[in-house]
Amino acid sequence: MQLTINGATHDIELAGHETLLRVLRDRLQLTGTKESCARGECGACTVLVAGDGGPRRAVYSCLTLAAACGDVQITTIEGVAQGSVLHPLQQAFIAHDAMQCGFCTPGQILAALALLERTPMPSESDIRTALSGNLCRCGTYPNILLAVRAAAEQLHHGR
Amino acid sequence: MAGKRFVATKVEVEGREDTRIVEIPDFDPAPWTLDVPLEIVGQCVPRADAREKVTGRAVYTADVSQAGMLHAAVIRAPIAHGRVVSLDLTPCLEIAGVQDVLQLDDVKDIRYDSGQLFDHTIRFAGQPLAAVAADSWHAARLAADAAIVRVDAAPHAVTVAAALEPDAPQVRRTGNTSKNSPRVTQRGDVEAGLREADVVVEREFRTPTALHTAMEPHGAVAVWTGDQLTVWESTQGIFNTRSDLAEAFGLKLTQVRVIKDYMGGGFGAKNGAAASTYIAAALARKTGQPVRCVLDREGEQVDTGNRSATTQRVKVGATRDGRLTALVLDADVQMGVGGWFAGPGKIFHELYACANVRTTETFVYTHTGAMASFRAPGHVEGAFALERAMDIIATELGIDRLEIRRRNYADRDQEKNRRYSDKNLHRCYDEASRRFAWPMRREAAAGPWRRGSGVASVSWPAGGGPPSYAHVRVNPDGSVDVLTGSQDLGTGSRTVFAQIAAEALGARVEDVRTVLGDTERLPYTGNSWGSQTTASVGPAVRMAAEDARRKLLDAAATLMDVPADTLESHQSVIRVRDRHDRAMTFAEIGEKLRHVMIIGNGSRGPNPDQTALSAFAAQFAEVMVNVETGQVRVLRVVAAHDSGRIINPRLAQSQLEGGILQGIGYALFEERIIDESLGRPLNPTMHDYKIPTLADLPQIDAFFVRSSDTVANHTGAKGLAEPPIIGIAAAIANAVSDAIGAEINALPVTPWRVVSARARDSGETA
Repeated sequence: MQLTINGATHDIELAGHETLLRVLRDRLQLTGTKESCARGECGACTVLVAGDGGPRRAVYSCLTLAAACGDVQITTIEGVAQGSVLHPLQQAFIAHDAMQCGFCTPGQILAALALLERTPMPSESDIRTALSGNLCRCGTYPNILLAVRAAAEQLHHGR
Repeated sequence: MAGKRFVATKVEVEGREDTRIVEIPDFDPAPWTLDVPLEIVGQCVPRADAREKVTGRAVYTADVSQAGMLHAAVIRAPIAHGRVVSLDLTPCLEIAGVQDVLQLDDVKDIRYDSGQLFDHTIRFAGQPLAAVAADSWHAARLAADAAIVRVDAAPHAVTVAAALEPDAPQVRRTGNTSKNSPRVTQRGDVEAGLREADVVVEREFRTPTALHTAMEPHGAVAVWTGDQLTVWESTQGIFNTRSDLAEAFGLKLTQVRVIKDYMGGGFGAKNGAAASTYIAAALARKTGQPVRCVLDREGEQVDTGNRSATTQRVKVGATRDGRLTALVLDADVQMGVGGWFAGPGKIFHELYACANVRTTETFVYTHTGAMASFRAPGHVEGAFALERAMDIIATELGIDRLEIRRRNYADRDQEKNRRYSDKNLHRCYDEASRRFAWPMRREAAAGPWRRGSGVASVSWPAGGGPPSYAHVRVNPDGSVDVLTGSQDLGTGSRTVFAQIAAEALGARVEDVRTVLGDTERLPYTGNSWGSQTTASVGPAVRMAAEDARRKLLDAAATLMDVPADTLESHQSVIRVRDRHDRAMTFAEIGEKLRHVMIIGNGSRGPNPDQTALSAFAAQFAEVMVNVETGQVRVLRVVAAHDSGRIINPRLAQSQLEGGILQGIGYALFEERIIDESLGRPLNPTMHDYKIPTLADLPQIDAFFVRSSDTVANHTGAKGLAEPPIIGIAAAIANAVSDAIGAEINALPVTPWRVVSARARDSGETA
């Protein structure tokens, strides 16, 4: 079958049990998507999926079967920047130091991206709710909150 | 006669002090006292590896892939105590893709924190018994599940109370308490101190077992090339891991290379080789192929260490005006099957002035996973009991709870009777209480919600020490490398070292790259533990950069035909002082020198004698408590910290906020729960073991008081990683007790504990 990831099409033989997380990491070497709990509890493996023309939404790739992704466009952290130009969310994460060890960062950025596409100017409470499924043990939450707000401002007013 | 070149010096790590013989550096850079103007040190330079982290390009251990690499999975004990009757691994080998298995006979003599690897005597649920290696992760997991493990279960002791029963099941052959138990540490005469007291309070405090729960589980990738072993490992100590592996496999140190690039948090659990490291290396040796062994979440939660649970019986005596006359602690500390002795007692000896102190600590083995250092081990637990007791005695005496802490200010390190290199705790009290607006005005209760406030003080040995080494290399293209075998756990050490080197060398910080984490190619530094790294490695980096600067100026002097002492280095340009038309950039010098290298060497000098090198803090919390449901909301935390000079305020603040958030988790939710009848952990997942989320974030105002501790070392910087977690649970429990008018003397402060404390104390407080 075919998987469309970050705009590129991959022909791949899939067994029915393979999760999107394992396929991304082990078979396509897209290791920016992280594994931490592998059971939908931490958000480190968050990626975006979108049906034809539909909005991108955040899913836990550890709970998503790869074989069910034939008809969707998948976005991983590797597909967020345009070449060497970082997405405003990525820039804001750097500017506000919204990371420490960085292990949860790809998932945080993708969850935030899905939020901003759905709700361009989220309230603080919207951000807290949308990202509460993405754990950060280093406790970088204050800066993640600042970064997402700053990126929302920039995307909304900056274009 | 010249003095000796190698001298003895003392270094304190997490309360353990030892003596090391180190070389006195060739020259001693002038101390960066507060009046020295610095341009790059002290700036909020962006995290050096931020771009790699936001693009997913940062390579963590589980991302390392080698040609022909196998995946390992671990088979674990289903019971807490007993023995393996039989272990049938043939079904594992029948699964497609499985290449080999690893069991006790393959790893004889390999011991880790929990004892002999794959021991057939089972001493905790989750103990590794065997491992498999397969072509894919999936096949390895299937194979691990296919193993047929028959065990003979024996009665277990998973709690301290059970382990101390007269006929308790034995956890270790030497008994259920450690050889050094009870560890009694005392000064003065506590009986006399208690007689002298106008008021004595006596309470029992309890703290839970907490789990590190780093986002990245333990893991290693091992490759053998002949008798040379290379291991990629998520570790806080590449050189410790190297020693562990060399010993386990009978190799010389230099036959082992440990590489650590990025890691997803450690918090004390990743200080040397772990079961996963040995399994990867042993399977790689057996199969002749590279092996990756990364733990699953359950393995991570049951067998990679934890913070000890404690029961602390505390007696405090004070005079009517609130001066402490005696502090007595009798504590039971749960070790699990192993670990080291980070008791809650030490903070009783150092936090407040008191002539009479006695701590008695009994370290108890239980049939549970081994203890490991967890961010300020011992101090976090001890601070909870001591700071609760301080509040109780202040309330008893009718003295303001901040004032009683000021009245017992310790000017000296009383534990070892020596001076502090620097101590600005009083300024922390001043500045934090002002920002917090202490004492809080009590509002009239509206509905079931009550507000309360609390404070706690913090001290922690954070001076670092030798040995640590660094090289600074100026490249032909004018860029600069800092080379040091240290680790960046997400703490920011890559960035901080680059700033120190840029400042000392006169380079632009964006021209400086830090290369870390390789035992074969980089000079030695110690583990990144005990809030040690900046104060240990920073001075070595600075000295290496100063050395490189002298050489670079000498080279420029020849190239420009001027005396070296007329030259200055700034922003990667060398100029004749006051003659700005005569200048060469580092790149121009590099081009002229071609492959003649400029390399500076630096080492960390000895610590000052008879001096305690500590960091301090005052932490305040405001909470809102629903007295009907017991729900607690932390509204605000204000924390003032004294860690000497701060190299990068933004990164330092990130770490303070992170430590405070871990403290909030420890205060309100975190507790490993063991089913006492089955002996198994009930919550080895991230859903059931609750850590804070973004939704739990209160307002946090964490900052540093301005200081530079140049008695500690010439950069003036001390550690700051652990202090932020130390006082938070205590401050929150104090605030909750304040809010509800009933004592909270156990953690975590669950709704049930709040409601039952109210019910228990309602007779006195209603």
